[in-house]
Amino acid sequence: MPHDSHDHDHTDPPSDLTLRVKALETALTRKGYVAPEAIDAVIDTFENKVGPRNGAKVVAKAWSDPDFKQRLLDDASAACAELGFAGQQGEQLKAVENTEDVHNMVVCTLCSCYPWPVLGLPPSWYKSHAYRSRSVIEPRAVLEEFGVSIHEEKEVRVWDSTAELRYLVLPARPDGTDGLSEDALADLVSRDSMIGTGVASAG
Amino acid sequence: MSNTVHDMGGVHGYGPIPLEENEPVFHETWEGRVLGLMMTASAHLKGNIDNTRSESEMMPPEKYLNYAYYERWFVRMEKACQTKGLVTAEELNEVWVGNDLPENKVADPLSPDDVRRNFKAGRNYSRQIDTPAQFAVGETVRAKNINPIGHTRLPRYARGKVGVITGEHGGQIFPDTNATFSGEGPERLYTVRFTATELWGPDANPNDTVCIDLWELYLEPT
Repeated sequence: MPHDSHDHDHTDPPSDLTLRVKALETALTRKGYVAPEAIDAVIDTFENKVGPRNGAKVVAKAWSDPDFKQRLLDDASAACAELGFAGQQGEQLKAVENTEDVHNMVVCTLCSCYPWPVLGLPPSWYKSHAYRSRSVIEPRAVLEEFGVSIHEEKEVRVWDSTAELRYLVLPARPDGTDGLSEDALADLVSRDSMIGTGVASAG
Repeated sequence: MSNTVHDMGGVHGYGPIPLEENEPVFHETWEGRVLGLMMTASAHLKGNIDNTRSESEMMPPEKYLNYAYYERWFVRMEKACQTKGLVTAEELNEVWVGNDLPENKVADPLSPDDVRRNFKAGRNYSRQIDTPAQFAVGETVRAKNINPIGHTRLPRYARGKVGVITGEHGGQIFPDTNATFSGEGPERLYTVRFTATELWGPDANPNDTVCIDLWELYLEPT
């Protein structure tokens, strides 16, 4: 073919993704499209600034302060912003409360939508084909794999994040936690309890 | 494309949930670089979230399924950077074979402060629309049975199914048109609650439900 000689000047993309990603970063950097220190800032944001500890503080405050809880249920983005948790993928947050009658769980069947400012980046299982496919058709079987059993009379309500709303589950406050401080309560709130694949537990 | 493997709700065969204790934010250093590249080069790629999703969905199904998560992001982005003329295959090749590239600044990159400010500010997906709402909270609606060739956020498992509107969220950018840059075409967004038995048949638990956020154009009266 006429362009053969041209093609032979090129190697195939390296199988090593580290090298391949470095090549793109280098090319974009040399041309001024990206700055490596700005990429560092993105990584720092997700490794150190946002994550499920933010969401746990929100939940603990909602357990401790009925007025805050009401604001959270009315407009979760505004309520979380009161604690300084706001930003991309949290612009239209909705908090859904677990009650005696309803257990909520959150999925994104079409991609991997997740409330970054309060939970950080999603865990691998949340992005897995298994979770994305099964959560809507057999949520109880999925919950069992997380060690969560929901009574068959109770509604399991799955939220499929198909639009730009992002969901935060407000887990039920564990019994026997009266008098605990917000900090102590926050320690009881797991990441999974805010996705709905876990429950908050006092021990 | 819409009827592709990315639309996973209700599909069988993917096995148990792959749980991992004490998972790090990034398993490999390159994964964080990919996310960082996405969030910093985006200003120059001039894409949008719907176009980005659509490009991922157009990958061959076997690739979509076999790529690691951030690998999928990366492959899409590496291609977009070339398609949109930010970098050339020759430039990438130079680095692959161990050479550096000369500095040749043609653009201004986002600074770390820009990145932090953009993250904090978020985006605004809401749009004012003047047309009255076609549906009301409490109303029963049917998700249309449509199979568009282009991007859509109406999952297959809900098509043709009947549910009840439980929330209304005003006008929002419409992904189906935004994905192809043919306009934001804002449409009213609703949350629709479907019973598990409506979606999956009589063997499902009659108490269980699935809530899906759907734009007005995806819905019709019953």
